[in-house]
Amino acid sequence: MPRAATIATTLVVLALVIAIGLVSSNQHVLTLIIQTMMLGALASSWNILGGFAGQISLGHAAFFGLGALVTRELWLDGIPLPLAVLAAIATTTVAAAVVGVPMLRFRDIYFAIGTLALGVAVFITAGNLWPGISSMSAEALRNYDFTGPYFMTLGVLVATVAASLWLKHSKVGLGMMAVRDDEEAASATGVNAFAHKMIAFVLSSALAALAGAAFAYFSVSYFPNFAFSVIWTFEAILVVFIGGVGTIVGPLLGSVFFIIGRDALPAEINEFQVVVFGVLFMVVVLLIPGGLTEAGQRLYARASRRKPPSANEPKATKGKELV
Amino acid sequence: MTQLILQSVVSGLLVGGMYGLVALGLALAFGVLKVLNVAHGELLMLGGYASFFAFTFWGIDPFLSMPLVFIAMFAFGVILYLTLFRYVTRTEIHNRIKNSLLISFGLVLVLQSMAVRFFTADERTISTAYSSDALTIGLVRVPVVRLAGLAVAVMAALFLEWLLSSTRFGRALRATSEDWTRAALTGVDVRRIYLVAFAISAALAAVAGSLISLGYSVSPNIGLGWTLKALIVVVLAGLGSMRGIIVAGLFLGLMESLAAVWLGGQYREVAALILFLVVLSFRPQGFFGRAYA
Amino acid sequence: MLAVDGLEVAYGDLQVVWGVSFEVPENSIVAILGPNGAGKTTTLLALMGLLPVKAGSASFKNHSLIGVPTHQMVDLGLVMIPEERAAFSSLTVEENLELGAYTPRARPRQRETMAEVLETFPRLAERQSQKAGTLSGGERQMLAIGKALMARPDLLILDEPSLGLAPIVVEQTFNIITEIRDRGVSVLMVEQHLEMALEVADHAYILEMGSMVTDGTSSQLAADPRVQEAYLSL
Repeated sequence: MPRAATIATTLVVLALVIAIGLVSSNQHVLTLIIQTMMLGALASSWNILGGFAGQISLGHAAFFGLGALVTRELWLDGIPLPLAVLAAIATTTVAAAVVGVPMLRFRDIYFAIGTLALGVAVFITAGNLWPGISSMSAEALRNYDFTGPYFMTLGVLVATVAASLWLKHSKVGLGMMAVRDDEEAASATGVNAFAHKMIAFVLSSALAALAGAAFAYFSVSYFPNFAFSVIWTFEAILVVFIGGVGTIVGPLLGSVFFIIGRDALPAEINEFQVVVFGVLFMVVVLLIPGGLTEAGQRLYARASRRKPPSANEPKATKGKELV
Repeated sequence: MTQLILQSVVSGLLVGGMYGLVALGLALAFGVLKVLNVAHGELLMLGGYASFFAFTFWGIDPFLSMPLVFIAMFAFGVILYLTLFRYVTRTEIHNRIKNSLLISFGLVLVLQSMAVRFFTADERTISTAYSSDALTIGLVRVPVVRLAGLAVAVMAALFLEWLLSSTRFGRALRATSEDWTRAALTGVDVRRIYLVAFAISAALAAVAGSLISLGYSVSPNIGLGWTLKALIVVVLAGLGSMRGIIVAGLFLGLMESLAAVWLGGQYREVAALILFLVVLSFRPQGFFGRAYA
Repeated sequence: MLAVDGLEVAYGDLQVVWGVSFEVPENSIVAILGPNGAGKTTTLLALMGLLPVKAGSASFKNHSLIGVPTHQMVDLGLVMIPEERAAFSSLTVEENLELGAYTPRARPRQRETMAEVLETFPRLAERQSQKAGTLSGGERQMLAIGKALMARPDLLILDEPSLGLAPIVVEQTFNIITEIRDRGVSVLMVEQHLEMALEVADHAYILEMGSMVTDGTSSQLAADPRVQEAYLSL
């Protein structure tokens, strides 16, 4: 889509979202939008590491959970929310930096399994250390107003998308994508692969923590280890791929599709909704790697009868040098 | 205290045998097809349910239904290969792992939620006449069904070892694992090798599932946990090494048990995961593997 | 025996081989020569079904090859030894040779063929239980050829047989190639080492930048001033 149209659409959607937040008192709608924005932010953060830098992390929930945990604990103890959020981000950034050093030495499948192992270990430990439900005080519950969480989550989403946008057009981002496409070749041209992966890892984790902070602020009561659950990682990945991995709008489209779709499906096929998304996910990976974004681009091109720029350039074959 | 430790050692080894058996299938699929099937645990779960229902509705003893479960899951594996994984094997190796990870993740969602829908979320265990029998060796109590499970695991490993080293088909499997284009140029029908290897891998998962529904329990969401254990065992043994898998499985089971003794049952899994990460950091090729992945 | 006409190979949008045509008659040695990057290996891989063919035809003993799975070509008697030797390092010499007779065509006569091959390459007989990865370069070359012979080929394709080998081994290799032709197996080889190839080849084609530039017998090419200037003066 041409630049102007994209900007216009974004502004319209943004205005709409803001309007609804200010005007509506329909709890169901507000909850759905908050969930969509939160998942969109989490998915976008994963996309930075997985889509831009090409490192598939299966432990993303660890940082989402950490962000939620720190925010929640501090905030419920009386510390003002902004400070709690800052603390959460700081803690997670440090944690990611510490974890990233050994983790990022691993490649491909080792990295995936390693992050999964880490994520599960953190989940179990969190459950052991914070077994009780975390609930807002009765007073807070009575005064619960969606406006705060709504706009906070919106802010988180905007921040995350802005970070992604900046990254995508920056030299650092270019380096990440070079590493994604062919790490050896990138190194050979002077790109410090480890540094780029590290930046992606830390940034992605910090943003995940930010999404976690939104979750902590929004949720009334939950078991603290729930935010560390691998389900969050899976939903983020699912949504990124359905929407279009490596794009800015992909994670957002995917989130909208997923949350609204899940809600729209009638209750009878409640269990099957996961089946539906699972099948859709497989279809996307096999047939339309660019997800909804690519599908949209193809339709748009057909409508205006122009050759679309391919969402995913065919990568040069790795491996044997063929004469 | 001694009794506790000894019992833990034995329990750990028994469950470790299961870890090894589950890992065998995963290693086969990964070694030959270079495909990572994270739905391996779901296939295990389905095998467990198959045995459970065969026993509950028709009274067939799980050890008798095991060959049937093997065959049924072999067939299902063929179907899965032809409909899904075949397409993944068309990509070159570098992307194959990523793609198979993603595809099988979708499969996890599908299989798990269908299992919840059709089987309900309840835990099931097969209770035969001999289910609670146990051998008492000194201070230690060894449940018969779990011991049988370990025996099956060892036999499966030996069988695979024999298959790979002494048969024409096994040679072709090893050749394909090493380099599929060279194998094709040698006249090996690589697609058929992939198909059979994948189907065997699925069938092995199902057999493990049968043993687990007998010796432990099965429910729709156990899949990922077992897959993760299997992955850990495969990496500990060394990607590309079939040989050390049972040993690595036993090691994992043992470490978990001992960790539970010293740190408390809550941290059993965590200790195993951390141990895994440590091994991965210092010896990525695993105990027995070659230096390449 | 082998006839290729107008073969075109492309990687996505990047075309690498443009309308290549050549023939390998029975009982002959044909060489495809040319510099690095000319598309020689690509042509072979496409021929053997390991790369998609964009256009053109190829037939072997009157069977069309386009779209035929690689392993079936081997069963027809068309065997290729790829550039980095065809042996499997994790298998022993003996296992490699046994595997060579995998096809239904070769399997019935496996024992007989094995005896022949071990006679031709006594060094392999000595090292039968060794893993192929532990062999020297020259021995691996022998193993690759021996393994290919186990498939009882009618036409043997060699991709850069001289690559990375000591001169004496290269000479040995070309002697073996001649012997193979004399036993009734045609040979198609791709080579960068022009002089040696021209010595043994009955006919040669020169490939440059994905297109056939010229062809002829060894003497014809040797006498061709363009060939002399471009390759033989180096």
